[in-house]
Amino acid sequence: MKRTRKIAALAAVVVAASGLTACSAGSDSSNGPITVSILESKQIGIDSVKKQIPGFEAAMKKQGKNIKVKLVGDILTDPQLVTKITQQFIAGQAPDVIDLGDSMVPGFAGAGYLAPQDDYLAKWDGWDHYFPQIKKAMVRQDGKIYALVHDTGVQNFFYRKDLLTKYGVDTTQPATWDDMISRLEQIKAKNGNLPPIVIPAGTAWGGGSWAEGFQPILAGVDQNYYSLKTGKWDLKSPGWLPTFNLYSDLVTKGLLPVQDLENPNPWEPTKYKKFPAGKLQVSAQGTWGWKFDWGPGGATPIPDLETKVDTWQYPAMDAGGKTYGWSGLGSSYGIAAKSQHKEAAMLLAEYLSSGVPLADQLVASGAAPVRDDIANIKPFSGEPKLVQAGKDLASSLYVPTGDGSEQIAQAVANATESILQGKATGQQAYDAFVKDATDLLGPALVK
Amino acid sequence: MTTSTSAPTRAATAPQPSPLRRRRPRRTWPFVLLLLGPGAVLIVVFIVVPALYGAYLSFTNTQLTGFAARDPKFVGIDNYTYLLSSSDFLASLGQTGQFVLFSAIIGQTVLGMVAAILLSRPWVRGKGLWGAAVLMPMIVPEVVASLTWASVLSNNSEGTLNRLTGLFGADPTSWLQVVPMVSIIIVNIWRGVAFAMIMFQAALEDVPVDLIEAARIDGARAVQIFRHITLPLIRGPVFLYLLLTTISTVGVFGLVYFLTQGGPGGATRLAAIYIYQRALQFAQIGIGSAASMILLALVLVLGLVYVRLSKVEV
Repeated sequence: MKRTRKIAALAAVVVAASGLTACSAGSDSSNGPITVSILESKQIGIDSVKKQIPGFEAAMKKQGKNIKVKLVGDILTDPQLVTKITQQFIAGQAPDVIDLGDSMVPGFAGAGYLAPQDDYLAKWDGWDHYFPQIKKAMVRQDGKIYALVHDTGVQNFFYRKDLLTKYGVDTTQPATWDDMISRLEQIKAKNGNLPPIVIPAGTAWGGGSWAEGFQPILAGVDQNYYSLKTGKWDLKSPGWLPTFNLYSDLVTKGLLPVQDLENPNPWEPTKYKKFPAGKLQVSAQGTWGWKFDWGPGGATPIPDLETKVDTWQYPAMDAGGKTYGWSGLGSSYGIAAKSQHKEAAMLLAEYLSSGVPLADQLVASGAAPVRDDIANIKPFSGEPKLVQAGKDLASSLYVPTGDGSEQIAQAVANATESILQGKATGQQAYDAFVKDATDLLGPALVK
Repeated sequence: MTTSTSAPTRAATAPQPSPLRRRRPRRTWPFVLLLLGPGAVLIVVFIVVPALYGAYLSFTNTQLTGFAARDPKFVGIDNYTYLLSSSDFLASLGQTGQFVLFSAIIGQTVLGMVAAILLSRPWVRGKGLWGAAVLMPMIVPEVVASLTWASVLSNNSEGTLNRLTGLFGADPTSWLQVVPMVSIIIVNIWRGVAFAMIMFQAALEDVPVDLIEAARIDGARAVQIFRHITLPLIRGPVFLYLLLTTISTVGVFGLVYFLTQGGPGGATRLAAIYIYQRALQFAQIGIGSAASMILLALVLVLGLVYVRLSKVEV
């Protein structure tokens, strides 16, 4: 009996002692330098930021600030990043700075995971150089800015100019979707009846089916499907149905690679295999296609890229409409609301969004700048396609959205999936979308 | 003969201590607590409390992202109503049922039984080698198993299966898209057959050889012996295995998610994947929790059925 009690007491002491040790080990040392952590989830981001850290630390030292940077490199797809970082936000374990795709920002900002940045930005001289339309698009529905956008891009249709020329297909800008479809049918006939165009659609592409597939087409017809003022989605807005009908048309005519779009990673057989191999000739694609996807150091390089590939803008839905490029906000730096070093974290975000560090990153990822003082900074100034993309921003379309965009993305993915599977016409897919989106958004977010 | 019958009689008539009166000596309680306590605490902290919290969440509209995440509200049975009228969720339950039936209840059980019976035959040579071959799928980590099958079922001409079919002049096939459910069923059978074999091997060892021999002398054929003697005697372990494999197969996630992510077009969106997508990818914890509760209830009902069936007298 006595021995049992002694064993129990010893166990309790060991547990308590280890707990206390763990607690003391976790507490911050107040005398040392501040360490700011930054999460990068793409290899290009990891490499770029790693290169900039010594410069930042030296710059801070000049200002009398002892700030060290810990780079957290964790290669993840966007859905994996959302899942992982959400848990870290809730647990208070997220890095201080998180490099996020802009589509993730409304959800995280709404939930209170990101710190508002307005006060810091007001004191930063670099803020004056941001393009006005970018500044406007960064404001969320509660009127605050939660993430500092550091790159962007213009989405167009990249096409294989070399092959279309060989096939004798017109390579001038198609004016309408009817023109585009007519050319796609010619390409298909010349290329063994294989589908010639990829536009993100279906559930396998995740949020991309909305952000990179459906939304750019929808915006060409209708820009009133979301109101920043009321924070509501208008599911009866006139652009939805024609866009679903267009998808239906493309599938019915065998122009979209249905089986590839249902692959678990649909960008691999399409953008990374068939487009470089010339078996698929047109791809909806952002500026980063010049570097990240097909550039010399990209995922699947295409030799002589700029000779073989060129871009078309999005055609108008109807005759008389204007062609356009689509510019989303690209990547942005969010600061965790529970960060203990918000000010230092913001200094890092600002440094990485300025001057040579930003020019370096834009070239590495193949993105367009969000501010007016980068075009002449090397190495960016030596990249004509990216410089042009920066100029095209001013004339491209963008419809900022807010809370509920993830639910809309889900409903669009489901509805386009039913079209891909041949289970729904455009009208049926639209009806299913309205029902699905209404269920998912709830009454507070639907007009 | 007299001796052998009188001993049990005496034993039967001797006063037996009532089970209710049998108490553990007080002195041993601290030791028992010390042994069971940590396990019990872990079960309560990591299973009971999360399950209860999950049950609570299932009655709320809790979200992980968006402005709604700041102010979750009690919504009664709305999540359950939504799910039970959702064709996606009902389809995922149907796919889970199909997956469990063909991969666990039929595939693993039948093949595990066949492997156990064959390995119990005295004439089989190289039992160790065969046993190791069957066990290997169980001991490799899930990610390794998934990678292996991703390579076997790869859609390009370098995939193992496509190489084999290519020998007969067939074009490369995207197996995970053309026959996704069949593919994941085969993978799960491959993965789980070892556990079935171990369970059934242990059960078969307890079947009295005398009974089998007596049946053989009476002219019973192998199938009749298995049907009327072996199977009734191992009914308990068989139903225990069915219970365990049903529970674990309903919860299969990594193996299938890695291979198909629930696609194509939701064709392999098992309930576990549906729950993951709703709760974590789309951040709708309330709906995800309600789906988990429905799945838990279904598994409990199945478990009760198995327990009931395993007690049926032969």
